[in-house]
Amino acid sequence: MEEQEKTEQHPGEKPKDEALKNKEITEKTKKEEKETEIKKEKKPFNLLSSIREVYDKHYKVLMVFPFIILLLAIFSIAFQTITTGDFINRDVTLKGGLTITIPSENQIDVSALQEHLSRQFPSNMVSIRKLKRAGSDTGIIIDSDIGEADSATLGLFISEIEKSLGTKLEREGYTVEFIGSSLGASFFKETVRALVIAFILMGIVVFITFRVFVPSIAVILAAFSDIVITIAVVNLIGMRISTAGIAAFLMLIGYSVDTDILLTTRLLKRKEGTEMERVLSAVKTGVMMTLTTSIAITVGMIFTESDVIREIMIILLIGLIADLMNTWIQNVGILRLYLEREHKKKLAKNEA
Amino acid sequence: MKLKKIFTNARVIIVFIAIILAVVAIFPNFSNDGVAIRSIKPNSAAGISGIQNPKPTTAPMQREVIKAINNKPVKTVADYYKFVSALKPNMTLQLKTNKGIYKLTAREKTEIIVLNETITKFVNETIEANETINGELKQVNKTITKAIQVPKTETIGLGIVEDIGLEVYEAPKTNVRKGLDLQGGVRILLKPEKKLSEKDMEFLLAGMKERLNVYGLTDIVIREAGDLSGNQFILVEIAGGNDKDVESLRQQGKFEAKIEDDVVFSGGNDIKYVCRSADCAGIDPSSGCGQSDDRWICDFRFSITLSQEAAQIQAELTKTLEVVSSQSRNQYLSKKLTLYLDDQKVDELSIGADLKGKAVTDIQISGQGTGMTRQDAAFDALKNMKRLQTILITGSLPVKLEIIKTDSISPVLGEEFVRNALFVGLLSFIVVMLAVLVRYRRFVVAIPVIFTMIAEVIILLGVAALIGWNIDLAAIAGIIITVGTGVNDQIVISDEALRGQASAASGLKERIKRAFFIILSAYFTNVFAMFPLLFAGAGLLKGFALTTIIGISIGILITRPAFGDVMEILLKE
Repeated sequence: MEEQEKTEQHPGEKPKDEALKNKEITEKTKKEEKETEIKKEKKPFNLLSSIREVYDKHYKVLMVFPFIILLLAIFSIAFQTITTGDFINRDVTLKGGLTITIPSENQIDVSALQEHLSRQFPSNMVSIRKLKRAGSDTGIIIDSDIGEADSATLGLFISEIEKSLGTKLEREGYTVEFIGSSLGASFFKETVRALVIAFILMGIVVFITFRVFVPSIAVILAAFSDIVITIAVVNLIGMRISTAGIAAFLMLIGYSVDTDILLTTRLLKRKEGTEMERVLSAVKTGVMMTLTTSIAITVGMIFTESDVIREIMIILLIGLIADLMNTWIQNVGILRLYLEREHKKKLAKNEA
Repeated sequence: MKLKKIFTNARVIIVFIAIILAVVAIFPNFSNDGVAIRSIKPNSAAGISGIQNPKPTTAPMQREVIKAINNKPVKTVADYYKFVSALKPNMTLQLKTNKGIYKLTAREKTEIIVLNETITKFVNETIEANETINGELKQVNKTITKAIQVPKTETIGLGIVEDIGLEVYEAPKTNVRKGLDLQGGVRILLKPEKKLSEKDMEFLLAGMKERLNVYGLTDIVIREAGDLSGNQFILVEIAGGNDKDVESLRQQGKFEAKIEDDVVFSGGNDIKYVCRSADCAGIDPSSGCGQSDDRWICDFRFSITLSQEAAQIQAELTKTLEVVSSQSRNQYLSKKLTLYLDDQKVDELSIGADLKGKAVTDIQISGQGTGMTRQDAAFDALKNMKRLQTILITGSLPVKLEIIKTDSISPVLGEEFVRNALFVGLLSFIVVMLAVLVRYRRFVVAIPVIFTMIAEVIILLGVAALIGWNIDLAAIAGIIITVGTGVNDQIVISDEALRGQASAASGLKERIKRAFFIILSAYFTNVFAMFPLLFAGAGLLKGFALTTIIGISIGILITRPAFGDVMEILLKE
């Protein structure tokens, strides 16, 4: 096929000697590959190989994307922190809010009330629990994130509860309390401190395993980027984070590390095949790992009726997508840059 | 042939043994109807009927469960309360539990009124006296009878039945303990004695949380609350719901050790170390337990280490004291060291003469517990010891707290959540199996992958049941990450094993060994990442980190080696 194209482009040209011809062919191939790259949608057959080509040859350019996205994520989190004073949207379990206690001897249809209130106050979080004494219901507790200052909404909220229950609530009939966060003020400080130590320990373990500095940093950077990008995306889609969400963010560390270690091992410890072949073998295994997990998570997200599980699943899914980019572009890029530099160093040494 | 090889493989057998042990630990019995006994009030109708008060460490399935009352079956908590609320004074009821049959008589609720007159009462008292026997001075115990004046009292019946003293809950179906999120618990509203500044409030909450950690209660939420009129409250929620645990939280815990009116040291900062191990804390072996009147008394003791400053104060205060010889051979100082807890005297310690004016840092603290039986007294003594230790470690809270109300609450995530979570879990297993099937097109890979996933969850729950930690939301997150990491690792092993099949550049064994290098590196990185979270204050991080570490350790130690061997056997041509 190359032969054919060549003759098409250079009709009537006389054949040169073998060596020159071969050289020309390789040059042509390179040129043509650049062309296919441009017209890749027209030649679907070559799509995979051209993606592979870009992935192989232009990894330095590709590396710009994860870093741009990481920077954008950091900016958006910074912006969120400045405008709202908080780097995530915390829900009632993390921020605290309002607790209304309504004693009632009658059976209350909690799910109907929950549904009604959620529909009337779509931007607020409502959670209802039953109070029991001696085995029978004695009332309900409604937790919501309506603020202390917002007395107009509170009045509206109470009247909606009355509407749903079908009874008038006397002022003595219920109590309203403002509750603080279930995790306490120092929780975030402690978490951040624990995470910093966690990242340092991770780095030390990776360093002991591979005995090289740059790849250890790359693993930590990938895990850090995963979490930061996920926080930014969660903020952008306006999701509120509960205590379950915090657990989900921590779970990302585990999922992130698995693929990064796989990549680092295949690239630094193995000697078979070319560098690119080893990267591609790691991609094959690693993408399979992430895909399997993502499919299981997506199914869980669709079929769960629990908001808590859904929250965990959404965060994990966003994190896993971010991890695909951070492992296979960012981490691969850093490792290949590192190997290239090492290679040059070795060459220089040999020459000297 | 291959199957036989698999089932005779040592690592596979270990997995099966682990699964069997886990199932034994979980002890599932879904037909376990009735109401389990949570606690028994001392001296109540139930308390004197002979039912044993369950220890908090008793595994859920080992708890005594009431099956029937007066030969009518009790299936739910509501059934039980229907019986109890219909009781009249002096009615008898027969409780049938899984451990025996008890007869209870409901007592009338009474009130003791102190009258304005006194009566004379004779009491026996044991004193130490010196007597000359055969020309030698000896110390002997003598019992004398003393007459004392006590106010006259009268007991009047109130016509209503007294609480029979049982606290019950729905009988558990497995040994896996459910956390606050899944099981519900008690919610207690506490009010500080005086209004606190924001800083004091934070200090108070931190102190309460620290006490919980020392006390070993992890599944508790403590938070600040306030009402519209500006009152401050503290809201405590405890899984399972034993509101007695709150007592230790509520106490201000002002601990002071005084010589006369001078404070030598107090709880918190003055104390460097409190011994809680068996060799230096527990029932006092030298004095042990004894009987007095109709009660048993047990002594406990534990050693503490004082700060240098506190020891110095002690030296100053003891310098001026005189040495006195008691009737026994030991020589003591003229004044005693008195221990006060919340301004109430706990114990008095004699100070040895050799400690006069010395800055000693090691001190033994003692106290006692009482009960109707020897066992009860020992139990009480150990409970008091633990409370005192907690207070000595954490120091006192800035204010006294008053309990406003106590309610039982249903869980945030109820039955519905558990059912749905199980359904979603099952669905994910099927999806993972399909994904693995599509990728490798071999059942020999897909079936072991799924089997390993299920085995890991069962073993993890077994460990949870065994060490008695609560499965809550954080633990569920830990289980998800365990299963996820497990699948990842198995894909690494399968890929590595199948990859070389075509090229055959290196042996199968060699390739599986390489897969284990990746898996082990990832494992250690993960464990070390979770490690600092174990020590972060909040229970959420701790529960997550603990479950994750145990879960992935089970994977690396038990299931992963077996999976590697199975792959090796199945893929060998």
